[in-house]
Amino acid sequence: MSGSLKVRVQRYRPEEDDAPWWQSFEVPWSEDTSVLDALNHIKDVEDGSLSYRWSCRMAICGSCGVMVNDEPRLGCKTFLRHYADADEIVLRPLENLAVERDLVSDIDPMLAHIETVQPWLQREQAEAPEAGETLQTPVQMARYESFSHCINCGLCYAACPQFGRNPDFLGPAALTLAQRYNLDSRDEGREARMPFLNGEDGVWACTFVGYCSDVCPKDVDPAAAINQGKVASNVNYAVNLFRLLRGGDDA
Amino acid sequence: MTRSLPRRSQEPVAWSLFGAGGMLLAFLGPALVLITLLVLPALLADDVAAGHAAVLAALRHPLGALLAFAGLSLTFFHTLHRLCHGLHDLHVPLSARLVGWVGYGTATLLSLLAGVWLLGL
Amino acid sequence: MRKPLPPRQDALWWWRHPAYRRYMLREATALPLFLYALCLLYGVRELGRGETAFQAWLAFMESPPLIALQAVALLAVLWHAWTWFQLVPKILVIPTRHGTLPGHWLRLAHVVPAALCWLLLPLLAWWALGQFAGGGA
Repeated sequence: MSGSLKVRVQRYRPEEDDAPWWQSFEVPWSEDTSVLDALNHIKDVEDGSLSYRWSCRMAICGSCGVMVNDEPRLGCKTFLRHYADADEIVLRPLENLAVERDLVSDIDPMLAHIETVQPWLQREQAEAPEAGETLQTPVQMARYESFSHCINCGLCYAACPQFGRNPDFLGPAALTLAQRYNLDSRDEGREARMPFLNGEDGVWACTFVGYCSDVCPKDVDPAAAINQGKVASNVNYAVNLFRLLRGGDDA
Repeated sequence: MTRSLPRRSQEPVAWSLFGAGGMLLAFLGPALVLITLLVLPALLADDVAAGHAAVLAALRHPLGALLAFAGLSLTFFHTLHRLCHGLHDLHVPLSARLVGWVGYGTATLLSLLAGVWLLGL
Repeated sequence: MRKPLPPRQDALWWWRHPAYRRYMLREATALPLFLYALCLLYGVRELGRGETAFQAWLAFMESPPLIALQAVALLAVLWHAWTWFQLVPKILVIPTRHGTLPGHWLRLAHVVPAALCWLLLPLLAWWALGQFAGGGA
């Protein structure tokens, strides 16, 4: 299995260009040629000025996300052989994020959202290492494990029309990570995270389009995590309402 | 890292009603439409008096009235919830707060009407 | 020098991908269902106004535009139910001794009783109303 395919790439060089433009290349491919390999071929042989992000080549660093024929994909996990019957493949930078240069998106808004939900194990009191490990049963781990496979590649943000509509929406990966730690039996940070889930730009800005879960390269299912977060936020709302009715403080 | 806490969204109320309505519609909706589309016209064509009495008796029964009220009210909340979010999705330039007030206000009003009319039967 | 191109979503974004079109179709089911519920609410009022008014409502429901609305509402509510039950396992997590209940079981536990409702309730209504109409004649 081999051949050659027309690869059309969106170019944008901030020093020279005011608007993006298209550049086409003819790229030879064999069975194991990925989109990332195609980009490396173009940069090495055709046009050294092309910019794109990549690192690990094996779908774990999360750097090489691009739009391939209008779908968010990891370049390293997408193969040209699947497009052998298509006229061309069209590469654009990730949707819903600002374009820095060529295929390089500005992922800072996504990283800021992820940081907002404090996605790390929190303990109320620091424990000395001598106290030993905090143990967890396999069933306890299974509750959050699939949500912990996120590699922060941003494909779900490119897939999410609600993030496109409202960039303040915390978005799929951040809300999934919040749920991942909230479900972890070792974590005690739920109270710090819930206000961000409960807010207008938290879980309630999601309308369950579900495309984030279709495009996730690690099968994390962010749509499930967010909507389980809605249930958690609903319970939190009811508890708060009950506290207010009894004359307590708003939280 | 200091970050001001966001204001709590009131969406849980709307979402709970939306969810209850969606579940009820998924279970009973197709049967209900089949009944008004096929069963009522076929059976009540020749004897409207008996049909009127039958439907009236069903909706006067507390259980029937409760089911009818829940069905109507939750359907209004379910559908108007989706329509409000749909306007936002379609970039209709109205403030979300205004759309929310009008949408859920309409659902509340229609629910009240349903309650009044069902109790008046 | 930084000169990033800002992202901009246009109002027709939902037309650009099959997944978005399916989503919009799911949300659009609300429109015919809302109108249908209005018709039923109107029916409740007419029912209370006596036999003649009820008969006029029945005739109204059988007029061609209302038949069309009910046909669209039937398709809409079936699409709503199908998509709804697809999403249920993503929200509903039922813990068991060894983990959580598998999604396809949950889906089955909704779809089977629902399908029974769809078939049996119209038959039940047919039978019950037939008793009444037969008794009255």
